[in-house]
Formats: sequence, structure tokens, C-alpha cells
Amino acid sequence: MKPTGIWRVAPLLACLGLLVVWQAAALALRNDSFPTALDAIRAIPSILGDKESLINIMASLRRMVIGFALAVAISVPLGLMMGRSRAVAAFFNPLLMVIYPVPKAALMPIIMLWLGVGDVSKTLVIFLGVSLPVIYHSFEGARAVEEKMIWSGAAMGLSTVQRMFRIILPAALPEILTGCRTGLVLALITMVTSEMIARQSGAGNILFNALDMGQYDTVFAMIIIVGAMGICLDTAFERIRARLVRWSEPSFNMPLSFS
Amino acid sequence: MNSRALTTDLLLGAIPIALLIGVWQAINSFGYAPATLLPPPGLVFSRLFHQLFDPTFQFQIATTLFRLFTGFAIAVVLGVSLGIAAATHPAINALVRPVVRVLAPLPKVALYPAFLLLLGFDHESKITLVVADALFPILLSTYYGASTVEQKLIWSAMAAGTPPRQILFKVVLPASIPSILTGCRIGLVISCIVVFLAEMITSTNGLGFVLVTAARTFQTVDMFVPLITISLLGLILNGLLQAGRSYLLRGFPEA
Repeated sequence: MKPTGIWRVAPLLACLGLLVVWQAAALALRNDSFPTALDAIRAIPSILGDKESLINIMASLRRMVIGFALAVAISVPLGLMMGRSRAVAAFFNPLLMVIYPVPKAALMPIIMLWLGVGDVSKTLVIFLGVSLPVIYHSFEGARAVEEKMIWSGAAMGLSTVQRMFRIILPAALPEILTGCRTGLVLALITMVTSEMIARQSGAGNILFNALDMGQYDTVFAMIIIVGAMGICLDTAFERIRARLVRWSEPSFNMPLSFS
Repeated sequence: MNSRALTTDLLLGAIPIALLIGVWQAINSFGYAPATLLPPPGLVFSRLFHQLFDPTFQFQIATTLFRLFTGFAIAVVLGVSLGIAAATHPAINALVRPVVRVLAPLPKVALYPAFLLLLGFDHESKITLVVADALFPILLSTYYGASTVEQKLIWSAMAAGTPPRQILFKVVLPASIPSILTGCRIGLVISCIVVFLAEMITSTNGLGFVLVTAARTFQTVDMFVPLITISLLGLILNGLLQAGRSYLLRGFPEA
């Protein structure tokens, strides 16, 4: 998929459109607790200018990056091994199925009892939140690798480890990266909620404290900031992904024609 | 897969769960953790069993399930129809794609304060959050499934004289069902997670509320009970979805 002129600016236009809809809705509702888009945007500089909030937001990002990196480093090998070996898959699958629907941020109160309210608990929760989708997608990716390629590799004398790195990892990469992208969104969600539960520092803390104190401009400004973080991270990730797996791009850019 | 291999798989899979509970029990028995921080598994499971027959707790489960199902159902209907519309209609595609591109990576929990302020503290704000979070995986996989429908299938249907409106329901929708169901599965897990979180943030009922109340009053046993309940609910719902999937996909080569 090649972004041509109009597709490049389309997301920006969509952002603008959403802000305009928001502004219109706020003007129409005239609700005290629903500031207009302009008011919310005006409140952003005062948050980003404040040193303490900036430190808070950076701390959130740091925890998220560490948790995400650790999760990817551990989950990808695990998922690949599960995809290639039936025994490993049978060993881990039921456990993962039990853990999957548990909201990881809901473990926060319990983990807080053990590890305190600091960075360790929050990073651990983010780690847990990210690992499951990454494991799942790596597993699916490794399972779908064509047997013939692995046989050819084995016939040419590659050891099991070499086959893992030179055939299975690249072949499963598109699927792994899809998992990482889901993981990235989940990392942001978990980050915000964990900070909301352990109100000590971070972007989630600012957001929900402002809600409790009735500073609605700040609430909506923080929503914009967190949202922008999500969109920027996703765009950056998408760039990297497109570069890494350009060869596997599906060609479904065209809408179906039958009408 | 023959039944013997299946049994081995089940046994293998039971090991880590048994191991986890074993380690949990061992930590308690050897006194590494006081029962106030980590209650022994026996206590937690007997409490869970006891709670499952308690009308108040059943009411909390019902509340959570109601929010989960309503939100998930709305997300499925919206996601599938928008996804199909975007895949088949160039104008809708041009409108939906950029908006989805912006909204999909947005952490929806951050929008929850806005929903609270606009929709109040009752069901509406929680259901909206569930819809917002479950919608995008379903929409994206529907779009993906519908846009990868083989053009030849459509041409054959047209050649056979099927009117365009019916092609939608007879060719495009059935052909994209595997992909839609994959999206629904992800959406379902996300709904479970999100409904619980929303109830933890602000609520007066539901499983998340049970957890928060237990945490505030330092009742560790009661903190584990809702967590295990939501995990069980997730497993059951996932099983139901799998059963539905194998029924719907009974004609497909790989289900």
C-alpha cells in the first residue's frame, strides 16, 4: 500500500474533523462538564509547560517502554517455540487461556500489596498486558510457516537454532508485528489504568485527579495528550513495520467492485 | 487429532496450572508470605464456591454480564456493518479509513472520564466504553476479510444473475465470516477486560466494584474471587464463541 498525496493527509483531516464535531457538540450541549475542543486545546500548554506534569508524563512513557520491551523480548521466543513444538504449545496454552481474559490492570491492587506502588508494580502490569497478544500472534505466525521451507533449511544443514532465526523468525515476522501493534495499544491502556489505580505519578494520575477535582479543561486536555501519544506511537510503529515487512504487504487497497 | 494425543495434550496443559497452584500453596505452607498478603488457594476457592451461590454476588455477575453483552453486541453490529460498508463502497471507505486510523490506536480508557461526564455513572458510560474498545478489532478484521474476498467469486455470482444487493449477503458476508469471527474473539476478550476496568474506576455494582471494595477494606481473599470469576467467565464465553465458530464454519476447509 503506497500512501499517495491524499492518503497522507487523510488522517490529519480526520483529526480536524473529529475536533470540529467535538466543538459543535460542546457548543450545542452547553454542558459545564463538557468544555469545547478549543478550551481543551488551550489547556494543553499549561500542562506541558508545568515541570511536574512533564516529569509525570515522561515517567509513564519510561515505564511503558520498559514493560513493552521486556514483554516482546520474552514473548516472541516463547510464542515461536509454542508454534513449532506441539508439546510446548500444549504445555502453555491452557495457562495462557486462563490468564487472557483477566484484566491485567485489575491485578494492580494485589501486586501493589506485594511490590508497593512504585515503578516495579506498574511495569510488571504493563509487561503482563503486552505479553499475551504478542505470544498469541507469534504462536500463530510460527505455526503457519510453510513446512517445505523448514525442510529445505534442514536439508541444507541448518541446525534447529539457526532454522529458528533464519527461517521461522523472518517468516513469522508480519504476524509478530501485528501482535506487537496490539501490544502497544494495550500497553497504553494498562499504563493509564494502572496509574489511575495507584495514584502516585504518571499521566493517568493527572487525568483522574483532574476529574476528581472537577478541572474539566485539564481532563479533556489530558485525553488529547494521551490520545496523541497513542497515535504517534502507532504511526511510528507502522513506519518501522512497513520497512521491515514490505515484502508481505497485502494488496487489498482497492475496494471491491460490484455495485 | 486422535483422542490419545488429545489426552496427552490436556495432561501437559494441566501441569503449569497445577504447578502454579502448588507453588502458591507452598509459599503459604512454608510461611514465606503471610495469609493477609497471599491467602492460601484452598481458602480462595472455597470462598469462590460459597460466593457463587450468594444472591448478592450473583447479582454483581449479572450486572457485569449485562454490560458486557450489550456493549459487545453493539460493537459486533456496528463493526461488521461499517467494515463491510467500507470494503464495498469507495465513498464510505474514504471516510471511514482515516477516522479509524486516528481512533483505533487511541487508548479508549482515557476517554472514560469524558463518557462519565457526558453519560453519567450508570450503565451507559460503561457500555459505551466497551463498545469503543471492542469495535475496532471487529471492524478491522471485517474490513480485512471483506476486502480479501476473491473477485472471481463476485464475478461468478454476477454472471449467474445475482442482483448486487444480494451479492453482499450471499457472497461477501459468508466469505468474510472466518475473519469476522477472529475479530469477535479478540473483541470479546477486550470487552471482558474493559468492563471490569470500568467498574473498578467508578461503579456501585459489578465484579470490578467487588474487587475495589475488597482492596479498600484489605480483604485479600475477596480480591482474588472476582479475578477468578472474570477469568472463568472469559473461558466460558470463549468456549461458546468457539462452538459457534465451528458451527458457522462447518462448510469451510479449515475451521
